[in-house]
Amino acid sequence: MQGTPGGGTRPGPSPVDRRTLLVFSFILAAALGQMNFTGDQVLRVLAKDEKQLSLLGDLEGLKPQKVDFWRGPARLSLPVDMRVPFSELKDIKAYLESHGLAYSIMIKDIQVLLDEEREAMAKSRRLERSTNSFSYSSYHTLEEIYSWIDNFVMEHSDIVSKIQIGNSFENQSILVLKFSTGGSRHPAIWIDTGIHSREWITHATGIWTANKIVSDYGKDRVLTDILNAMDIFIELVTNPDGFAFTHSMNRLWRKNKSIRPGIFCIGVDLNRNWKSGFGGNGSNSNPCSETYHGPSPQSEPEVAAIVNFITAHGNFKALISIHSYSQMLMYPYGRSLEPVSNQRELYDLAKDAVEALYKVHGIEYIFGSLSTTLYVASGITVDWAYDSGIKYAFSFELRDTGQYGFLLPATQIIPTAQETWMALRTIMEHTLNHPY
Amino acid sequence: MQPRRQRLPAPWSGPRGPRPTALLLALLLLLAPVVAPAGSGGPDDPGQPQDAGVPRRLLQQAARAALHFFNFRSGSPSALRVLAEVQEGRAWMNPKEGCKVHVVFSTERYNPESLLQEREGRLGKCSARVFFKNQKPRPTINVTCTRLIEKKKRQQEDYLLYKQMKQLKNPLEIVSIPDNHGHIDPSLRPIWDLAFLGSSYVMWEMTTQVSHYYLAQLTSVRQWKTNDDTIDFDYTVLLHELSTQEIIPCRIHLVWYPGKPLKVKYHCQELQTPEEASGTEEGSAVVPTELSNF
Repeated sequence: MQGTPGGGTRPGPSPVDRRTLLVFSFILAAALGQMNFTGDQVLRVLAKDEKQLSLLGDLEGLKPQKVDFWRGPARLSLPVDMRVPFSELKDIKAYLESHGLAYSIMIKDIQVLLDEEREAMAKSRRLERSTNSFSYSSYHTLEEIYSWIDNFVMEHSDIVSKIQIGNSFENQSILVLKFSTGGSRHPAIWIDTGIHSREWITHATGIWTANKIVSDYGKDRVLTDILNAMDIFIELVTNPDGFAFTHSMNRLWRKNKSIRPGIFCIGVDLNRNWKSGFGGNGSNSNPCSETYHGPSPQSEPEVAAIVNFITAHGNFKALISIHSYSQMLMYPYGRSLEPVSNQRELYDLAKDAVEALYKVHGIEYIFGSLSTTLYVASGITVDWAYDSGIKYAFSFELRDTGQYGFLLPATQIIPTAQETWMALRTIMEHTLNHPY
Repeated sequence: MQPRRQRLPAPWSGPRGPRPTALLLALLLLLAPVVAPAGSGGPDDPGQPQDAGVPRRLLQQAARAALHFFNFRSGSPSALRVLAEVQEGRAWMNPKEGCKVHVVFSTERYNPESLLQEREGRLGKCSARVFFKNQKPRPTINVTCTRLIEKKKRQQEDYLLYKQMKQLKNPLEIVSIPDNHGHIDPSLRPIWDLAFLGSSYVMWEMTTQVSHYYLAQLTSVRQWKTNDDTIDFDYTVLLHELSTQEIIPCRIHLVWYPGKPLKVKYHCQELQTPEEASGTEEGSAVVPTELSNF
């Protein structure tokens, strides 16, 4: 290993590399020997002249050793870095000061730094190398999800592939998983989660569902029939910028992160930006509002990407958009109280789906058209889907009914996903059996 | 697991009927009380699905407002309740005055942790008269509920909570409850319950016919003083308003002691308009959120 403490007389690797290596070796030592560096500091000294440089060199020769050079005294122009154990700090600083040696404290407490680094390493280990160790009962970051997607596609490449359908406002890839047993342009089912970034349970449910599909294919009769005749597309992170923001700055962020000149507030509600009753009741023209519909229909790249993809594909038969919270299963319209033409069929299907869901864990959902069940909302996904000819368009509001709301505990991820799956399966089965 | 109870019947989850019926219904709503039997009709109800979307929402609205008020008035963080199911109700709508609602509903104990375990199974029942004054907040509420917990037990639990709170080490360092992953540390539950109690007052006052609120998160504790005879609690919460989806930061200051009426003062942040927002910072350099600390 390069850069052993005590230094050499030639310029070593860059300070950052060297420090990283040293820290790494410390971690290793700490892990193996359970050393503790609490209170130890790293001081940086700049010698003014040769005399001062040699004084520093004297420190090196002290027995017992009082300092540990990370960057030993070499040339006048190079700083000298030394680790000083907590017990020696007072003495060493007095020594430096009495000889007029100027120093600065590079690291105030090595143990703190070590702890932080250890945590960072553990964190990066979470970017798992296989989906077996991925925790389906935890919430994940954008990087973790995208990493999981790559592993997932690799492990199930016979059925799953990854498609990039566009880029978000902040230029993040927008990814869709395609589940297919072959054929060209099978009739298809669309599922999206995370269009509102704070609804974390939806992404988590989507991921579990993706895994469920590959696990059950060939085992569950209904799912196998569905996949043999149809393709399933799942967009897990429909609003990647917003989602990243919920991790970094604002857990309750809903919209995307688009910025427009002259407009102080950021973001458009992606579920008000669709071309169906755009700008009507239940959406807001105030850019600072949580239901701001944006300047025009499909103005947002995240929405345009889906519109373009589904339109170009031309053979989608069902669309399911997943939100939280309220425990509801709904169909169009949101923009008005007007019933859709196959209202009765959707009512019955929703009823069956909700019953299937209930049977899993006893959780009760209410169902109906969006406008009568939740509220009037214009420019929404399912209205657009329906108007585009997708007869089976549904919107879920997952658990709970307000006790935790958006902050649903991770312990509820799997139960929620399990029950939601039964509802999804019901809808997909109906779509399969009612071709149009 | 939630106790098995009758699901919301067809009228509440039904689709709208043909148009003329709807107009007639709307007319009736304006002029006369609407009887809405919510207990009838199970999953196999063969009747014609009618539109009852508006009255049901209104009844739920009223029930929630009544519950917030009930929780506040009880002054008891260990006896908080949440809405289980609206059972029946009537509404009188007067365009000049507002909206009177009589609603009967069931409640259960508020205990977020117990969702996945068997509940005690007991549901309380409440009857409330709620008067929404023409879209104005602070509905007038008259509510009575059957007892869920014996008074003595409730007092004991409150006093236990009070003692737990007095022993809390440095609640001023709290970042958020629940945390971003929905977890509430068991040792911090008393704080959360007390915060919920204070928030109930705020949510009652702010509820109107169309807006209703949920407590999303406790985001900071500014002051936590436990004296011999009171707990003085100054904190900030985020409320979630459902119809607008807005997140509203509210600063709440309450004074509590078991058995004494709760005292609450609060201030909630207004929604930013584009006019107010402009001219404060360079747009590109700032990442404003609606949750900036005040």
